[in-house]
Amino acid sequence: MSAVGLTPVVVRLKLSLLRNGLRQSAGRRAAYITSIVVVLLIAALQLLGLIALRGNAHAATIAVLLVEVLALGWAVMPLFFPSGDETLDPTRLVMLPLRPQPLVRALLAASLVGIGPLFTLCLFTGAAISVAHGPAAYGVGVLAVVLALLVCVALARAVAAANIRLLTSRKGRDLAVLSGLVIAVGAQLVNFGAQRLGSAGLSPLDPVENVLRWVPPASSIGAVDSVSRGAYGLAVAQLALSAAALAGLLALWSRSLTTLMTSPDESTLQAADPGARERTSTGLSRLLPAGRTGTVMERSLRYIWRDPKTKAAWVTSLAIGLIVPVFNALQGTGSIYFACFAAGMLGIQMYNQFGQDTSAFWMVAMTISSRRDAYAELRGRALALLLITLPYATLVTVVTTALLGAWPKLPEVLGLSFALLGAMLATGAWSSARFPYSIPQEGYKNVVPGQAGLAWISIFGGMIAAALLTAPVIAVAIWLNVSSDGDRWTWLLLPAGVLYGALITLLGLRLAAPRTAGRLPEILTAVSKG
Amino acid sequence: MSAVRVQGLWKRFGEQIAVAGIDLELPAGRFIGLVGPNGAGKTTTLSMVTGLLRPDQGTVEVVGHDVWRDPVEVKARIGVLPEGLRLFERLSGRELLAYTGRLRGLPGAEVDKRATQLLDVLDLAGAQHKLVVDYSTGMRKKIGLAAALLHNPEILFLDEPFEGVDPVSAQTIRGVLERYTGSGATVVFSSHVMELVESLCDWVAVMAAGRIRAHGPLAEVRGSAPTLQQAFLELVGAHGRAATTDLDWLGGGTR
Repeated sequence: MSAVGLTPVVVRLKLSLLRNGLRQSAGRRAAYITSIVVVLLIAALQLLGLIALRGNAHAATIAVLLVEVLALGWAVMPLFFPSGDETLDPTRLVMLPLRPQPLVRALLAASLVGIGPLFTLCLFTGAAISVAHGPAAYGVGVLAVVLALLVCVALARAVAAANIRLLTSRKGRDLAVLSGLVIAVGAQLVNFGAQRLGSAGLSPLDPVENVLRWVPPASSIGAVDSVSRGAYGLAVAQLALSAAALAGLLALWSRSLTTLMTSPDESTLQAADPGARERTSTGLSRLLPAGRTGTVMERSLRYIWRDPKTKAAWVTSLAIGLIVPVFNALQGTGSIYFACFAAGMLGIQMYNQFGQDTSAFWMVAMTISSRRDAYAELRGRALALLLITLPYATLVTVVTTALLGAWPKLPEVLGLSFALLGAMLATGAWSSARFPYSIPQEGYKNVVPGQAGLAWISIFGGMIAAALLTAPVIAVAIWLNVSSDGDRWTWLLLPAGVLYGALITLLGLRLAAPRTAGRLPEILTAVSKG
Repeated sequence: MSAVRVQGLWKRFGEQIAVAGIDLELPAGRFIGLVGPNGAGKTTTLSMVTGLLRPDQGTVEVVGHDVWRDPVEVKARIGVLPEGLRLFERLSGRELLAYTGRLRGLPGAEVDKRATQLLDVLDLAGAQHKLVVDYSTGMRKKIGLAAALLHNPEILFLDEPFEGVDPVSAQTIRGVLERYTGSGATVVFSSHVMELVESLCDWVAVMAAGRIRAHGPLAEVRGSAPTLQQAFLELVGAHGRAATTDLDWLGGGTR
């Protein structure tokens, strides 16, 4: 196939794939059309907004930041949505006799077809217009927009090609499970940042802009700004930087394409690293108690790190448990009692313990033959949880207290936290035995169809029960706070809360153990639907 | 004494009857095959015998102890490799064995020693630090078998241990099982591959549609039929079904 002919072929291939995909179902067609309309509307509004910015002192800052954020989006997109673009999966073209150079050209051209590039083009055009003053600037602007767009697309392809082994492997699928979480936590941080900017104005961003205007692809928009101000030398340097980035990315892409298409897939190669990582007896296992307790703790802790679903759940709990009290305190709207949030969020992890095992629970079920075994199993899981939760809840409480400067309240809030944690562990253990449900291993969902009701009973019923169980401690706290002379005695809530939490946890485990031991087959059936 | 004694075992899933009244006595010290077509109820039966599924009716005794009333005695004496259930896949092969052995209450040093030997014999030593989630089907069956053997059970229950396993791994598994039964232990395994059952087992039970159709020593069940396959087809009434006049247009010759 000649080099000239390849590009139109690949672009046509992409268009037919798009068309055929849409032909498959009316729902998909509707979704596609809706997304086009929405994207075009947003792009048009942004375009208008950017044009309206012309002459504003912060126009360059916003334009440069916008371009950089979009470029970042292009870089991470393929990591989260690896299967987004079929023509561009080079492993499908591996049997064709293609040279890397024409292939890269053709794939780059095909990448420019689609909603994403169109949206980006609109925004980049807007960014260029917002900073362009004078015919020379407009001329450079056209070049700058094309260059920036090409850098973005090449960046996405280079990242995808370099990571395609990762993306099609088990590790990549694990990563995809975590991606939703990154977006959720990121949104919290962006929200917080936006609130700060809203109060302080855009001035804090100007120093950032001074750096970013030199980072491709924003440097090409920076060049437009430089031309507008008459700094032609700077403009040439900035354009050259973007062009160099494009050339570098294309070279990188071409190289990973070549290795990808000429080397065998890793999964067909036998692992040849026996004994590469000797970790028969880790430091962790030596610190844990012997017997079933330590064994169960070790497995639970390993799963928090290694199992993507468990990890995602934990990171969410840890992040929200920290963000809610600390950010509220930072904004000056918080109450110190929000610190109990950390204990509550982490206590949720005790719920549906056996569902987290999936059908591998049979291995546990085969070794539980008495109430004592079941008690040891549940206690081990609770202890593993406490190993992380106790220091973390303490830390969050101390940080929140420090931010609010409410040190006299610290013992009281700590006591409340621990009492709540104990109640969550107790109800969690009990509902793990009584209302187990399956957690699907793929995708974002945490409940399989048909068990949503069970999950609601398990978690919300449990949380309400936990709140009721903590009520005595809360009542004492309120009483001490309202009674005239109570402040002197609030420190008593710390030992009281610790004791209450510990006792109620033990009681919960004791009550859950016989239920677990007596319902092993039913639990196994309930957790095996994932 | 018999290894397993099953009386009046029933299991229903909604409308469908999976196991329809099984009475069966499995002798100790034998290599026992439970054969039957897909959907015959083999997995359901094995799950109920090993205590992983509660029967609607009936009793199961393993070496004289009731599975549901005396789990302490039973669970220590049996090893299980179920079909269609996961392992703790985010552990490495070695970690999985260490975990299982310690849950079973064996001392740590003994678990590690046995695990090393099992990993060697089952040809998994090279992959012992890989996570089980990255194992192939054959490797999963082998690590599952190792986990089932770790506490030296008296009876081993294996559900489709050779399903999807490559010939080399299958031979390894066979070798281990033959050595194990040679020392007087009992293996009960299910399969729908007759040749395999015929070459491995000395005692078979034939299942179809939730019932036991025949059981006894291999030679007895085979009877006058040339192979177990033939005998089985006759037992489940599927023999000669293919030779009817339907599809007479199919094949070479006049068109």
